[in-house]
Amino acid sequence: MNWVEIPYHGKIWRIPALKSQGRLWFHWQGETHVVEVGNGSRRGGADQGRSHRGVIQAPMPGKVTKVHVTVGERVAKGKALVVMEAMKMEYTLEADLDGTIAEVGVTPGQQVSLGQVIVRLDEETGKA
Amino acid sequence: MARPRKFEKVAIANRGEVAVRIIRACQEMGIETVLLHSSVDTQTAAYRLADEAYCVGEAPSHASYLNIQANVQGALSAGADAVHPGFGFLSENREFAEAVTQAGMVFIGPTAENIRLFGDKISAKEHVEKIGGPTIPGYQGEDQSIPRLLKECDRIGYPLICKAAAGGGGRGLKVIKNSFEAEELIKSAQREAMSAFGSGSVFLEKYLDHAKHIEVQIFGDHGGKVHVLFDRECSVQRRHQKIIEEALSPSLDEDLRQAIGRIAGDLAERAGYVGAGTVEFLLQDERFYFMEMNTRLQVEHPVTELVMGVDLVKAQIMTAMGQPLSWPKEFKARGHAIECRIYAEDPYRGGIPSTGKILAAHWPQGPGRRFEVGFEPGDEVTSYYDPMIAKVIVWDESRIRAIQKMKRTLSDTVIFGVRTNIPLLQSILSHEEFVLGEMTTRFFETHFSKPLSPPEFSPTELKLIQAISGKLGEPVDRDAGGEDQSPWSFTWSRR
Repeated sequence: MNWVEIPYHGKIWRIPALKSQGRLWFHWQGETHVVEVGNGSRRGGADQGRSHRGVIQAPMPGKVTKVHVTVGERVAKGKALVVMEAMKMEYTLEADLDGTIAEVGVTPGQQVSLGQVIVRLDEETGKA
Repeated sequence: MARPRKFEKVAIANRGEVAVRIIRACQEMGIETVLLHSSVDTQTAAYRLADEAYCVGEAPSHASYLNIQANVQGALSAGADAVHPGFGFLSENREFAEAVTQAGMVFIGPTAENIRLFGDKISAKEHVEKIGGPTIPGYQGEDQSIPRLLKECDRIGYPLICKAAAGGGGRGLKVIKNSFEAEELIKSAQREAMSAFGSGSVFLEKYLDHAKHIEVQIFGDHGGKVHVLFDRECSVQRRHQKIIEEALSPSLDEDLRQAIGRIAGDLAERAGYVGAGTVEFLLQDERFYFMEMNTRLQVEHPVTELVMGVDLVKAQIMTAMGQPLSWPKEFKARGHAIECRIYAEDPYRGGIPSTGKILAAHWPQGPGRRFEVGFEPGDEVTSYYDPMIAKVIVWDESRIRAIQKMKRTLSDTVIFGVRTNIPLLQSILSHEEFVLGEMTTRFFETHFSKPLSPPEFSPTELKLIQAISGKLGEPVDRDAGGEDQSPWSFTWSRR
């Protein structure tokens, strides 16, 4: 079994976990979970991390409450794009780069699933 | 009964966890094994464990695991003395039992005549009535015309069940709620019976709508004695598929237990029954009714083994070799055992099968915990066969302790690569009706007909996911470049 060690609440926890084909499997507090983490191409390229940059995905299943942007709008990194709600908490999804809104995949009131694409951004190129 | 002879080699005409179970029993008894498998089943635990393997055909069951000639041929060419059919597939096929015997090998199971008698639901029911056993009111006559069947429906009363006369499980089974839908459902049952079993013959039966599924394990030894190994309860079922089984049943008092055991024992003894068998009953309002007899080892046999202190698979092999069993004259149950069937399915999408490669698995060993597993990491769960990939069985002093142990064991069980029904099993084990032992065969459809809601992660858990993902080598938090690489770029606030 593959695992990672993570400090949590003053203790080091050994958590069974592995990544395969864009999915992260882990076992935490009695339950096995699987979350989509993109295609998993490793660091060093433009498509770093668990997903492509500029692709904003739902971090949890929940409901979209507000959409702050429209297609074509220019946004700066950190700009609040969409607000969603889950477990009585509000989450604000922010732009992860400077760019233009290429696609808004949701409308207010819509239920979204984990990993669903919420907004796509085109990265601003040739910026002075 | 064959002359006593020690088996040198046993062929296993099955797959998955039961094949592993049988191979292990043989290994412990010093018997070699040959696995009769389909072309896709070379990446399985049973394949690796067996001394030899023989491919009996292509992946689809009818081409391999249900192919009588290929299985007999495979066993013969490997020089097997006997064939164990496991459960499902050819285990209750009279022709297979005969073919194995005619080829000069021993069929590890009941006689072909036993299989014939109990395999046909109508002749089984007649046999039960002959010995004065309780049966469910119904119609099982020769006249299969629609007008006659409709008339019988009205006589028996609604709701009622229309079943294929041949075959087991839930195939070709319809619940008819009223006279308006009767004709249509009977015709549909006849069509399904014809295509599944080659005979369109159906029978009608009163539907007991708050019944419990209680079954009795019996075992006929080589000397003609039928042992009664008490009961199991398997009321937690989905579409007539058992999900959780336990021994003994929490629903029987001593009188009922003795009575149901006596009926089951008589039934088997009068039929000259040999080997492992299970007599299934429905229990409703303190009355029980014979449902059917399964002439084979059951999936849930481990719960009986744990409370009775026996090994049913070894007993099957001993009996087939003409050897006596060293079992006590009178059995006494000890503690309580529960089995959960692990299915490769998505509990958040109504149990649709989940296929794929098993990436990793962890079985949390401990006292009173038993795991029957048919795969190892790297093996593929395909859609060709039953999605049951493993069984978790626990034993403890009492039922409530066994429930607690099962919950804890499942909590610590890890399977990566395919989704499993473990979250669903946990919900069932925590359900008041189950904990109180009051569940009926309608328990599942009443309380669990909707898919489970997928888990939602708290902010702390989302941080944890990022940390895990980061540790696994892909930057999701702060990369060397200092840029936030998280696609889940978000902040949170209390509403």
